[in-house]
Amino acid sequence: MAIENAANKSTLNNAKDSLGETVRVYGSLGAFARSNLVIVWIGLLLLVWFFNPIKALPFPGEVLQAFRRMWSADGSQGLLYNVYVTLKLNIVGLGYAAIISLAIAYLSVIPLFQPVNKMVQWLRYIPIVGFNLVFLTLFTIGWPMKVAMLTTGMSFFLVTSMTGVIASIPRMKYELAKVLGYKDWRFFYSVVVRPTLPLMIDMIAQNAAIGWVMITAIETYNRTEGGIGSQIYAYSSTNNLAEVYAYLLIIGVIAVLEDWGFTLIKRLMFPYSLIAERG
Amino acid sequence: MDDQSKCLPGPLPGQPVLLETLLRVENVGKEFPMNDGANFAALRDFSLTIRNIENKPQIVSLLGPSGAGKTTALRIIAALERPTSGHVQITNGAEEKLRPVRVGDVGVVFQRYPLFEDLKVVDNLIKPAVSSGIPAKEAKEKALCFLDEFDLVRQGLAWPLQLSGGQRQRVAILQQLMQNRHFVILDEPFSGLDPVNIINVINLINRIAHQHTLNTFIIITHDVTSALAISDHIYLLGRERNEKGEPIAGSRVMKEYDLIAEGLAYRPDIEDLPRFAELRKEIRLTEFPRL
Repeated sequence: MAIENAANKSTLNNAKDSLGETVRVYGSLGAFARSNLVIVWIGLLLLVWFFNPIKALPFPGEVLQAFRRMWSADGSQGLLYNVYVTLKLNIVGLGYAAIISLAIAYLSVIPLFQPVNKMVQWLRYIPIVGFNLVFLTLFTIGWPMKVAMLTTGMSFFLVTSMTGVIASIPRMKYELAKVLGYKDWRFFYSVVVRPTLPLMIDMIAQNAAIGWVMITAIETYNRTEGGIGSQIYAYSSTNNLAEVYAYLLIIGVIAVLEDWGFTLIKRLMFPYSLIAERG
Repeated sequence: MDDQSKCLPGPLPGQPVLLETLLRVENVGKEFPMNDGANFAALRDFSLTIRNIENKPQIVSLLGPSGAGKTTALRIIAALERPTSGHVQITNGAEEKLRPVRVGDVGVVFQRYPLFEDLKVVDNLIKPAVSSGIPAKEAKEKALCFLDEFDLVRQGLAWPLQLSGGQRQRVAILQQLMQNRHFVILDEPFSGLDPVNIINVINLINRIAHQHTLNTFIIITHDVTSALAISDHIYLLGRERNEKGEPIAGSRVMKEYDLIAEGLAYRPDIEDLPRFAELRKEIRLTEFPRL
């Protein structure tokens, strides 16, 4: 118990040290300064927006009015409904893609599965909408087809990044486990799976952004259920740019929240990974 | 620990009693294929024998300049690499016959001390031990004992990334010793350390090695002074030269120094002895340039 208490204190002190002594190449920022800088930059951005040198960009007031209109609209035209549809698609698609990609990436350590992994990686060069007819044949139009398209499209990218993570495990780590007597599934889990999980979360977070690009394209092709993509398409076609930018702002906010959520997951599940990031 | 396994502190009172052979490396050769289709010989006829010294652990240094094949030798002794020719045999004491070395027989403390970064320090000691078949309770007791003995109690629940270089090195060595084995190879343990820390590492290795007479530490280094200060035997690894003075491919043991016979082993005051200075000069100025 004494050992554990002492170790706890030490861990805390060391964590504080590592936070306080974070060294970045061009200097480091405290939390207070960082949040103030973010406010300053957002302020500058808003200032530029208010003066609006780009004529194609609607003024902030117009976007605000678009928000009001969409908020008060009912059913499939409503803001909340469309955000809900897209967010649900994003989460479900990302979830499926993460599970499938983790499986394909981790199986790449077994020679039998390496060609499958390589083929999936090559497919990322091909636009997912090119497979529209294939998906149409295999899945019902609407929700199942959208989920399948998003899952497949994101998996191509996720597998590539996740396989890269596995390939970058240093040989020394494998050899350390070997000399310590790790074998079979324990070896695989301790050297390949467990230490790479926080990096896999990073890969999922990075590819979540690609997912948003795909979602808008996929919802444009499958407009039956609505969603942000279909709304952006519809408003763009009728030249209602204020509504388009209102939705883009919402995507931006969701992206920030998603990033924050992924960091939170890492903080809770893999605290050591944040120590590594802080240097 | 039984009485027979206990080590005596300080220099041996008389002549050393050499018991059974613990490790035998016989005529090991290692070649690597090159891009041009030719083979590059890293080792050639590399042989050495480590015998059990009564009442003492075995601390042996493989000393040589960069590119002398030290790391290849390490990997072959630890069975991480198969030799092109020759063999390595090992035993865990008088009760067991010499047999071919297997992965896991010899612990390796790699350079930069890799640990499982996703496990806390105490788990870095316990989990590998448990996975190698040691009962969990025994592993936990041993780990806590090690942490206490080697001044790591406060770091027990820290992550490896929070350790200093010295603490990390201690954990890496202890991790290998948790496995109930006696053979450990340390790859360049003095590399990048200042003189004070080199003395600390020498004392640490001595302390750990002296826990059991069968403990056999092989130190891979190019640091002549530290090798002399810590070893009972030094093997100089290097390449022979032909009549024209050109090096012949493939390193092997060029010279062996028996520091027990020289009266230099197990001496805390070794650096004050004139013979120490003579040997250091001989190795640095005469032997090293030839390798």
